[in-house]
Amino acid sequence: MTTIPGTAVRSVSEAVGAERLSGGEGRVIDGIRPAAAVAPESTEEVSRVLGAARRDGLGVAPRGGGTRMGLGGPPERYDLSLDTSRLDRVAAHNPADLTATVEAGITLDALRESLEEHGQFLAMDAPRPDLATVGGTLAAGAIGPLKWQFGSPRDLVVGMKVVQANGRVTKSGGRVVKNVSGYDMARLHVGGLGTLGVIVEVSFKLTPLPRRQATLLAAFDDSGPALSAGLAISNGWAAPLAMVTFDAEANRRGGFTGSARGYFLAVRLGGRPRTLDRQIDDCRRSCDRHGAVCLEVVDAAGTPVLWSKIRDLGWMDDDAPEYTARASVPSSRLPGLIAGLETGGPAPAVVAEPGYGSALVHWFADGERDAVSGAVADARVGAVHAGGSLVLERRPMGSRKIDPWGEVGGSLSIMRRMKERYDPARILNPGRFVGGI
Amino acid sequence: MSANAELIADLEAVVGGAYVLHEPEDLIVYEYDGSVDRGLPAAVVLPASTEEVSGVVRAARRHGAPIVPRGAGTGLSGGAIAHQGGVVAALTRMTRILEVDVDNRFAVVEPGVVNLDLTHAVERHGLYYAPDPSSQKACTIGGNVAENSGGPHCLAYGVTTNHVLGLEVVTADGSVHWLGGRTRESPGYDLRGVVVGSEGTLAIVTKAAVRLLRRPEAVKTLLAVFRELDDASAAVSGVIAAGIVPAAIEMMDELCIRAAEQSVHAGYPTGAGAVLLVEVDGLREAVDEEVDEVERVCLRYRPMEIRTATDPEERERLWAGRKGVLGALGRLAPNYYLVDGTIPRTRLVEVLSRIREISAETGLPIANLLHAGDGNLHPSVLFDERNPDEARTALEIGGRILELCLEVGGVLSGEHGIGLEKQEYFSLMFDDDDMESMAQLKPAFDTGDAFNPGKIFPAGASCVDVFQSAAVARAGAGAWV
Ligand SMILES: Cc1cc2nc3c(=O)[nH]c(=O)nc-3n(C[C@H](O)[C@H](O)[C@H](O)COP(=O)(O)OP(=O)(O)OC[C@H]3O[C@@H](n4cnc5c(N)ncnc54)[C@H](O)[C@@H]3O)c2cc1C
Repeated sequence: MTTIPGTAVRSVSEAVGAERLSGGEGRVIDGIRPAAAVAPESTEEVSRVLGAARRDGLGVAPRGGGTRMGLGGPPERYDLSLDTSRLDRVAAHNPADLTATVEAGITLDALRESLEEHGQFLAMDAPRPDLATVGGTLAAGAIGPLKWQFGSPRDLVVGMKVVQANGRVTKSGGRVVKNVSGYDMARLHVGGLGTLGVIVEVSFKLTPLPRRQATLLAAFDDSGPALSAGLAISNGWAAPLAMVTFDAEANRRGGFTGSARGYFLAVRLGGRPRTLDRQIDDCRRSCDRHGAVCLEVVDAAGTPVLWSKIRDLGWMDDDAPEYTARASVPSSRLPGLIAGLETGGPAPAVVAEPGYGSALVHWFADGERDAVSGAVADARVGAVHAGGSLVLERRPMGSRKIDPWGEVGGSLSIMRRMKERYDPARILNPGRFVGGI
Repeated sequence: MSANAELIADLEAVVGGAYVLHEPEDLIVYEYDGSVDRGLPAAVVLPASTEEVSGVVRAARRHGAPIVPRGAGTGLSGGAIAHQGGVVAALTRMTRILEVDVDNRFAVVEPGVVNLDLTHAVERHGLYYAPDPSSQKACTIGGNVAENSGGPHCLAYGVTTNHVLGLEVVTADGSVHWLGGRTRESPGYDLRGVVVGSEGTLAIVTKAAVRLLRRPEAVKTLLAVFRELDDASAAVSGVIAAGIVPAAIEMMDELCIRAAEQSVHAGYPTGAGAVLLVEVDGLREAVDEEVDEVERVCLRYRPMEIRTATDPEERERLWAGRKGVLGALGRLAPNYYLVDGTIPRTRLVEVLSRIREISAETGLPIANLLHAGDGNLHPSVLFDERNPDEARTALEIGGRILELCLEVGGVLSGEHGIGLEKQEYFSLMFDDDDMESMAQLKPAFDTGDAFNPGKIFPAGASCVDVFQSAAVARAGAGAWV
């Protein structure tokens, strides 16, 4: 430990002991390497670390599995990486009440395994569940295709424990599924990028696993009919668990299906046997009506495999895009947005969610950096013009050309005051959130 | 001019003389909501637009008068009571549905729109607004947002916060902000999410963009009658544990059944100790498969009778007893005190039996109606307010029931909020650090404590008077909880 110099090390090792510390290599954000990394083993230790950080004015970046450290602007200060991975217990699981309370550092995979034994799951997915933690996924608000049916994970959180920047441990909500007792503080931390506090424990409502699952995979000539078929399905009676369209580039990179050409629609369906069959029939008809050139049903065994590939596209270490953006628009504007992406500059790989109104767009640079950043800027304009927003989930290191968050409008003044109240010393992820919060 | 006269003149300058009430006989209508408290405001003002709300806020603040937003006044925890005087801002003139976007399935409405009116307005598109508080014929979207209201069908579809995309609000400096938007995701802190359920203490909601859902293809209602309350409770836990999440699971105990029989003649068998109502909706096949499964679970707990219905009239008949029960309780006692709390769904049997013990010990009957599927209890203590001892005991029982909810891992309120009613219990659930952290939201919204001061957080004893029956009258004929 003596090899790491500076206040950060001294201050944190006094708080929790040098054995919790390690070097900052492997913890780089935007080219900045922190003086140290600390891995607390309890809420109490997180509290002591933050107390020390505040006293000494250290910049702290909370970290779960490290899959989303590219989200947000460059840090104003970054002295300490606060690793939650040792807070990884399931504190309580009440299967008969469909609720669970877990520590923030548990990975999504570990939690899934533990819940699956009871025929339940947490209806929140995110890329790289082998690494991604519950706390990091919530803080980044970075969720996968299951949101089509289950919405934002905010709606699954029933209670939360947070260590505030002043070191105080605070809780809100409860462990039951229906509650209006006090302000719903958890809402601020979901999608808040750890700028108001460090999430240490979360209570969720759970969902019974569907009895059977299957995926309808349809190929079309181009994006228009694929998106229209998706919209028709979302206006029909079937209730997909997830539904995405993807282009040939996404398919080629991700290896979702064998075919090289075409524009695809994938509909993930679940239910008891008769219900599942009926949904497949309905969706199949919608696809036929919109000119599907090929239809395939992926069975129960193939379904999770296909959807993990879709979910993880762009997040595999060996094929990382230059830019990744998440666009959110009113769902009727999605086809226009996507048409714009197809014509403007270097073609990205696009996974979109018809009926939900969002698209994940990956630009793989392949040497055309300037053209790519121009295309990203155009995509932002397109999303805003359509009445929505576009957030950069990943950008080249050190690049400041494009604000990762975009404009958030008049409520920014309230958001800034939020930060002033909850983290006046600006120790938590300073500079990385909207408007430089 | 007196200070009060100046305040009134300033308010009149914003909304016009006709829309500022300050004569005692006019104010008295606004003295109550559905809760046990009351308080007389200095003035009631009825703005008609966002600009007027903003003007009202500025005027009131110039005079240092607290502002209490108010919808229909059906709240059951005192949220709309001006217990410190000041100005009541009643949003009941802001009743326009500004936009219905059928393609993207959302509507933008003013806060005074009555919950059920929104559903009526979008019905012809096959759409509806899902949160359905039992007071939906009267309560407003603004009030629903403030209380994060639920309803019987929130089991499957979620409460208000799950259906609000964005809010236009007026903050305490009179400025207007959009929080959230019209899309499912927007960057920045989820300020929309903290305003929902903030009981009118952070901002005044002047517009809400809310999601609309499609009417399901099929709906089926199952009514199961049990001799024993414990069996019905166990059946509820059994349904949830079997991995079935119906649209609604409602429950009533023997006292409720007796009251309902007398008033609406629901036709329950004699000797019935509990009734369960389970509604399943969705795809036709899914409804059939799930109702069969619910029935199989119920059969394990010795039901006296099971009936199912699919056509709307028959279903309505099954619901009649449940919907009529609140009005019917009046036949059993002059007053009731309805307590709202949530417990884990695995503890129903135990908690209901302890409530029975409390009733036996105190001598006051307690009727139990429950949004059982999500563990949301509404024990209603029956008493006579003319007997001060009984009134006091009723309130004490309320406290004991809330403590019981907390003891088994539950919470103080499932859907009615803390307001004035439960602020003295708030510290049983949250410690000083928790409360301090919540309280910081007010300076973050820069409220200067202008909106609904002295609520939610503990503030010493609140006044005691029991007037829930008045709110039921306001919720309209046929109101139910
Ligand atoms: C018979 C009956 C049945 C009921 N059933 C249910 C039920 O099933 N589920 C349920 O959840 N509740 C139920 N309630 C409680 C009540 O109806 C709800 O809390 C409802 O949402 C209140 O709406 P309101 O318009 O009457 O609001 P009010 O009572 O007028 O106000 C409630 C709170 O909202 C604030 N407020 C009102 N409008 C605004 C605004 N525009 N901006 C900011 N704050 C505002 C007020 O300050 C107050 O704090 C029932 C009540 C009765 C009397």
